[in-house]
Amino acid sequence: MMNRLNHLPTLKIDSSRKIGFTYKNKTYYGVQGDTIATALYANGIRIFARSLKYHRPRGLYSLDGECSNTCMEVDNIPNVRCENTLLKEGMIVKEQNVKGSAENDMMSFIDKMDWMMPAGFYYNTMHKPAEIWPFAMKQIRKAAGIGKLNPDFEMPGTYDEIFPNADVCVIGGGPAGMTAAITAAQKGLRVILMESRPWLGGFFDYRSSRYDSERSLHDRGVDLAKEVHAQENIRLFTHTSMVGAYNNNLITGFQIGKESDSFDQRYIEIRAKSVIVATGCIERPLIFDHNEKPGIMQIGCALRLANTYGVMPGNKSVFSIGHDLGLEAAIELHDLGLKIELIADIRADGQDPALLQKIEEKNIPLLKGWVACRANGNKRVKSVELSSIDGLISKKISCDLIVASAGMTPVTGPVTIAQGKLKYDSHTGFFLADKLPEKMHVAGRLIGLNDPVSIETSGVSAGLKAAFDCQSCSVEEIGEANKKLENLPAPPRGTKLVTAPVKGRKSFICFDEDTTIKNINQAIEKGFDVPELIKRFTSAGTGPGQGGIPGHNLPLYVAKYQALSDISIKPTTTRPPLVPTLLSTYAGTNHIMLKTTPMDKMQREDGGIFRNIGVWQRARYFSDDFSCKKEIENIRSNVGMLDASTLGKFRIHGPDSLKALQRVFVSDMSKVQKGRVKYSAMCNDDGCVIDDGVITKLGDNDYYFTTSTGRAGQTVEWIRYHTRYDKWDFHMVNLTDAMGVINLSGPNARKVLEKIVDIDISNETFGFSEYKELYIQECIPAKAMRLGFVGELSYELHLPSSYMQAVWLMLKEAGKEFNIQNFGVEAQNVLRMEKCHIILGQESEQRTNLLDVGLGFLWDRTKADAKTVGAVALAQAEKDKSRLKLVGFKMENNSRAPHDGSLIVDEKVRGYVCTARDSFSLNEAVGMALVEGPLSKIGTKLEIFEDECNGKLMYGKVVKMPFYDPEGSRMKM
Amino acid sequence: MKQIERVSPVVLKSTPVKTEVKDNWKVVMEYKGEGDGPYLIDLTHKQRFDFQDSNLLEHKPFKMTIPETPGCSVFDKGIVINRMNRTQISIYNFNENNLVMPDDSGFTDVTEVTLFIALVGKNIFSICEKLTSLDFMDPGKNTPFLFQGPFSHVPCQIVTLSKDSENQGLVLTCSRGYGRDMIHAILHAGEEFGLKPAGEEKFNHFIKRL
Repeated sequence: MMNRLNHLPTLKIDSSRKIGFTYKNKTYYGVQGDTIATALYANGIRIFARSLKYHRPRGLYSLDGECSNTCMEVDNIPNVRCENTLLKEGMIVKEQNVKGSAENDMMSFIDKMDWMMPAGFYYNTMHKPAEIWPFAMKQIRKAAGIGKLNPDFEMPGTYDEIFPNADVCVIGGGPAGMTAAITAAQKGLRVILMESRPWLGGFFDYRSSRYDSERSLHDRGVDLAKEVHAQENIRLFTHTSMVGAYNNNLITGFQIGKESDSFDQRYIEIRAKSVIVATGCIERPLIFDHNEKPGIMQIGCALRLANTYGVMPGNKSVFSIGHDLGLEAAIELHDLGLKIELIADIRADGQDPALLQKIEEKNIPLLKGWVACRANGNKRVKSVELSSIDGLISKKISCDLIVASAGMTPVTGPVTIAQGKLKYDSHTGFFLADKLPEKMHVAGRLIGLNDPVSIETSGVSAGLKAAFDCQSCSVEEIGEANKKLENLPAPPRGTKLVTAPVKGRKSFICFDEDTTIKNINQAIEKGFDVPELIKRFTSAGTGPGQGGIPGHNLPLYVAKYQALSDISIKPTTTRPPLVPTLLSTYAGTNHIMLKTTPMDKMQREDGGIFRNIGVWQRARYFSDDFSCKKEIENIRSNVGMLDASTLGKFRIHGPDSLKALQRVFVSDMSKVQKGRVKYSAMCNDDGCVIDDGVITKLGDNDYYFTTSTGRAGQTVEWIRYHTRYDKWDFHMVNLTDAMGVINLSGPNARKVLEKIVDIDISNETFGFSEYKELYIQECIPAKAMRLGFVGELSYELHLPSSYMQAVWLMLKEAGKEFNIQNFGVEAQNVLRMEKCHIILGQESEQRTNLLDVGLGFLWDRTKADAKTVGAVALAQAEKDKSRLKLVGFKMENNSRAPHDGSLIVDEKVRGYVCTARDSFSLNEAVGMALVEGPLSKIGTKLEIFEDECNGKLMYGKVVKMPFYDPEGSRMKM
Repeated sequence: MKQIERVSPVVLKSTPVKTEVKDNWKVVMEYKGEGDGPYLIDLTHKQRFDFQDSNLLEHKPFKMTIPETPGCSVFDKGIVINRMNRTQISIYNFNENNLVMPDDSGFTDVTEVTLFIALVGKNIFSICEKLTSLDFMDPGKNTPFLFQGPFSHVPCQIVTLSKDSENQGLVLTCSRGYGRDMIHAILHAGEEFGLKPAGEEKFNHFIKRL
């Protein structure tokens, strides 16, 4: 391992603490604070991966994850961005997208075949002939650098989520962000500060240049960070990247946990009254031939390698830069021992005189108006060819490091993702925020500033503006801050050069997708004249770097190539996530929230097999026999209990409650009586049945009704919505969870129930369709109904949920002599199907109305007072004979029942099977189907196409409904 | 027949050391190893009422004045009244003795509708932050106040009783059916903060300090 620089105050590593990791089956060591990439670099690894298309060698370039150069497989997770991922003990790091190794990749020959793959190669070639595409797609996917993930892989780690609120959210923990946060906090506001690196400081942090006579920029950064930490009302999220911005200043991001944290990563969703974006700048990549070869890196990357991680970026270097930071870095790295052969500065003038003087003092050769044109070397940089900007003169210098950068470019993603607009500024050469969303402010280098004090002052101004948004600051205060800013150094002039004077065959504008300048030219020549189209045609900016490398270079180059007089072209649209991360982070803790009935535990103890049904978990079976033969036969001949607690249950009361019921139910609800239950249904405006249930009258203007399980959550809103203009005085209480329901069914049901209730429940005193309030064991109040959904003598007991278990046990005890059994949802499904009682959603769908499913008898056409929801549509549909109709059918030739959902066909699809089962009560297969009107006549033969039947159809015949006990005598006994 | 027992939807896996039977509920007053907090306390046995009327302010349920603004609550003599909307309030009774529901058709006893729990002690709002975006620490809101919103994706009523750093506490109700998963979600979120189940005594102590 390379010796680390240990004496620098800017270091973030502890070189006394070694961290072991495996790379290519060999143990290497990094140090505490290293990223995987810096540890590999310190161990002499220069080629990290191969590129997506051409399999070109790729190395460390930005240190900020702006491209996929350092995407590797770490602990079986592909596409880990190693330059942003902290090294941990025992990590297993592998190269990805290589055949062989990154050093010797057998697929690297593709690089020589780039002439075969111009822009739009796939669009142009892969459709002729069409048959080749499935084969070609597989081969291309195999070759592409997308990593491999074992389908059985389970993501390790803990993923969390939080949803904090704040008055002000500051994105970016550099000098501008910190001063903005401090300013807002000093106004008494709750501030959240997000910083993507594990520490505060931004671009002050790694620089030893002077801030003032006493302090370096690094020192100043440390001081500001201390101030931030001292503010109790600043909540700091370090190692936290913003990924999205949405309406009303909803900011999303993710945080990478420290060892002491309870999470590995957590998703963060911040609701703030005001947002400050202070994300600074990244470097605009310099485009020249082979500009992505290992050994070429940006200024910040080279400087931070040394100052933050104590790693010398190379031995012999050439700088090709366009910003004073390049000169500053050259001086610092020279002082640390890096040999600098030459600095080629794109700018002919405008450099900081103090920096120029230092360069001269250190005898570092400097050429103004020069630029790197070509990097030479097979797998890594061996030399560089430079030329004057006009390309007239050139020279070649051997080196192992090229520090290259065209200048700065602002990180505008957070602004544009929040729907802010950018405009090109010819002075700075930046796309600057022009129109900002409401209550969003920008500060620092993002607005073109470079002077440290100006940057901080812009942070103060932004902090005050945010405070103003929160009614905690006056306009005058903001004015004073702005005035101060006006008297400080303004944004400096930026470089305009986009590309060196080269043809561009191997000059890469996007590293992730191997897109060259030549590809961009090809796209423009085909008529794709704006970056949005070029991006799609060439793939530039669509890789894991989220457009970090092509960024603002793409619109600048497109404008240049088309010789546009003004740069009205805009950068491509930025979309979340701004920074890629794991899907597990978005999944968060993923608490599954399902409802259980009061009988859940006891039914499980009785062998219940549960299924999720909507928001509920319900016992569907009570044995491994999923035909439920025993459960069904027990109900037909004896007695059983079903937990029906999931039914929707409501109280509606108030002077206008009847009017509300008349509005939403299709029947005449004025006929609902005390002591009786009435079955009815609700339709939507199209006449389609959306719900059904029973209603009883509890007292004057006081009703109790049930709905289907699936609709219970929407019932209150439904009734409120359909009475919203009437100003009726009525109130509703959702009692769904308050009341558990036991359905006691079977010929022996009365004999069981009468043992525990305090009233006479004989058929004479408690007949079919009647309702009674009674007490169980003189203690537990119950609402009891005589219903017959399963076609047998049945009692539906509505009980306080907390007493459900007690009553269940009483019924079990009382039913012991009859061998009472549980029955589940599937047995109920078959029993009611034999009786042709429908379940909405099973025998109905979006298109089927009340009449189609045979419930037209519920519709009262004479209701005078209320306009019934759906009545108009029903009146129209009544004359339409072609509509789907619900029919009963029996299978022919003793055939088994077809699967639910099987199609009814002739030459076309004519309908489908809703529910069909082999009936143990009838000893034959029966079912219900929705078919087109002409097929609904009794005796019609139905051809049934079952999934995977290989063309072998099944046949049934339309028969009269119901199948079981057509007179209904069993439920009225 | 066995003793009739009412069952709470809240199942906590700690060992009770002190229990009392109240109105057929077996109420845990203290659990083993409750620690220093924060605490999760089951209050499902406490009475809750729903009252709806188009002229709410004309009423004084239990001699208390109904707050004028939705989202506001009042707390007096162990009773909390929460203004939910223009026509509806919810009422929680923290007292030992049950109240007699007023003879007014606008009242519904909704004790059985929801689970009812308290979160009491330090860091409870950090726990809540992991499960909801509701802003409990909004300086513009004075306790007690009502939130009606999602908590772990489930619609809830949450009344913040105290934001005082020495005595933080809130009560939460949601559909009874969510009991198992809601308790699991809260305990999981509270793991890193040392959240533990506690008996009713801890809640009574908290209420006394309000």
